[in-house]
Amino acid sequence: MSLAKSLSDALQRKPVCHCLEKVVDDRGRDPSGGWLTRISGGRPAVLYSAGVGRRPPRRGSPLHLPTFDYRRPQSLAQALGWLAEFGPRAAVLAGGTDLLIALRQRLLRPELLVGIGALAELQGVQPCADGALRLGAGTPLTTLVEDPLLRVRLPALAAALQSVGSRHVRNVATLGGNLNLPTRCWYVNQGEAWRQARPPCLKTGGDVCHVIRSARECFALQSSDGAVALLALGARLELARAAAVREVALDDFYRNDGLAPTTLDAGELVTAVYVPVTPLRSTFLKIAPRTGLDYGLGTVAAAVAGSNRRVTAARIVLGSIGSWPVRLRGAERIVAEGGLEPATIEAAAEAARADLGELTNLYSTAGDKRRLARVLVRRALAALRRQPEAQAA
Amino acid sequence: MNRRFIRLTVNGDTHELAVAPQETLVEVLRDRLGLTGTKRGCTSGACGVCTINDETGRALLACLALAVEWDGRAITTIEGVAVDGQLTPLQQAFWECGAVQCGYCTPGLVMTARALLLGNPRADAHAIDEALAGTLCRCTGHIKVKQAVAKAVADLAAAGNGTTGDGPQG
Repeated sequence: MSLAKSLSDALQRKPVCHCLEKVVDDRGRDPSGGWLTRISGGRPAVLYSAGVGRRPPRRGSPLHLPTFDYRRPQSLAQALGWLAEFGPRAAVLAGGTDLLIALRQRLLRPELLVGIGALAELQGVQPCADGALRLGAGTPLTTLVEDPLLRVRLPALAAALQSVGSRHVRNVATLGGNLNLPTRCWYVNQGEAWRQARPPCLKTGGDVCHVIRSARECFALQSSDGAVALLALGARLELARAAAVREVALDDFYRNDGLAPTTLDAGELVTAVYVPVTPLRSTFLKIAPRTGLDYGLGTVAAAVAGSNRRVTAARIVLGSIGSWPVRLRGAERIVAEGGLEPATIEAAAEAARADLGELTNLYSTAGDKRRLARVLVRRALAALRRQPEAQAA
Repeated sequence: MNRRFIRLTVNGDTHELAVAPQETLVEVLRDRLGLTGTKRGCTSGACGVCTINDETGRALLACLALAVEWDGRAITTIEGVAVDGQLTPLQQAFWECGAVQCGYCTPGLVMTARALLLGNPRADAHAIDEALAGTLCRCTGHIKVKQAVAKAVADLAAAGNGTTGDGPQG
């Protein structure tokens, strides 16, 4: 009897405690009638909800983008002029699927966004005189993935770009944006509040690394899928600045450096990618937690020329495993010398582990990365072996 | 503070707005035009609840689009899908399959599926999976959503040319 009474008392009692504080709305009223409380040591919490005191988030809230100016150039020359004028104070906005997230996380604070999305000079796929394909750097990934020529002649690239993000993202994200994907890690690529909980790291202006405690340099990961495929295909980039255009082999574009992952200069823009369309077989594979949206835990692209018995050239590239896409030169040599035979495929997969050199535990352990590399290379080469052999001698 | 005028057509109505460069499309739709059917979720391209369709019927994310870049263009939001208050076959399929749990992701899923059906009216199960990837239902109700889209494909095929849907089964 007394137990039942004390139970019913306990159930009816309102939660009153000296450390609990009433929640009031912005006019000082308690919208919950006394039931809604929160643990707090400071001033009364203010509850904003619809009908009570709905207000837009404060300026500077992580819900908003920071302030910047925006300009839409009428021509490539005008865009390059602005990039030269503003230098590092300007950022290039193409598809925006990565830049706007970086802005929201306050990873960048540009004064000016140059919106190059509509520039005709950067669009489309065109065959060149020498048989290469010219891919405009501003072409959306969906356009490239659905291009019939690309699907047939460059299957590795089509598969790589198809694996990026989701269809919504690929509809606006561009090839140039994918190639210039910033390196990432689990400390820096978070909201500003998260980062501010610790002192700045090597990438954010400090001198420590929160991911690899003993590191004196930045090991952030490069996760561009397009880069992996285009490296295997032997692509070249066209880079433009205000008064000059240069071409660079993709092999010389990436650097093994989390802080400066490419050799792109300030004020420079990737305007096109040239991919040779030699009679070569290529494939791309990605291992990721989910098929959509996720970055790879490891990606591989491989391309070979010649028949299975006599391979005349081989390029094998591993991505999402270090600060740059890694050419597996030892594995390439084994395939080039021994052909695409079961024994050489196994030897090449084994060699991939050594080709990788130093690895970190960022996102997955170094051991996992090395094992994954072996599996990826084995699967990619086996897939190439199954593809119809080129007619070339 | 650097506002500029844009002319944006939403569901056939043209609006002239003064927007700041940093305003995203989802902010303009919800906070300026009151079109709150388009939801604001992760605001970083990972959840798909802000999906809208452009002039060509492609799906894109309103949280990762600056309003100033959309000057002179036209979009369709969930409010513009039904015709004269009549649900489209796609919406009807969602309704009949019960492809709704809490409902927060439903506008995004409908706009994503609408883009798929506009581009590929005979989408098979694989195409449906591929298109819906990137729109997350955190109630985990994806099976019924996939059934609904497959049903819409079959219904459209049956209504269009008298043949039955020859591919997709939920």
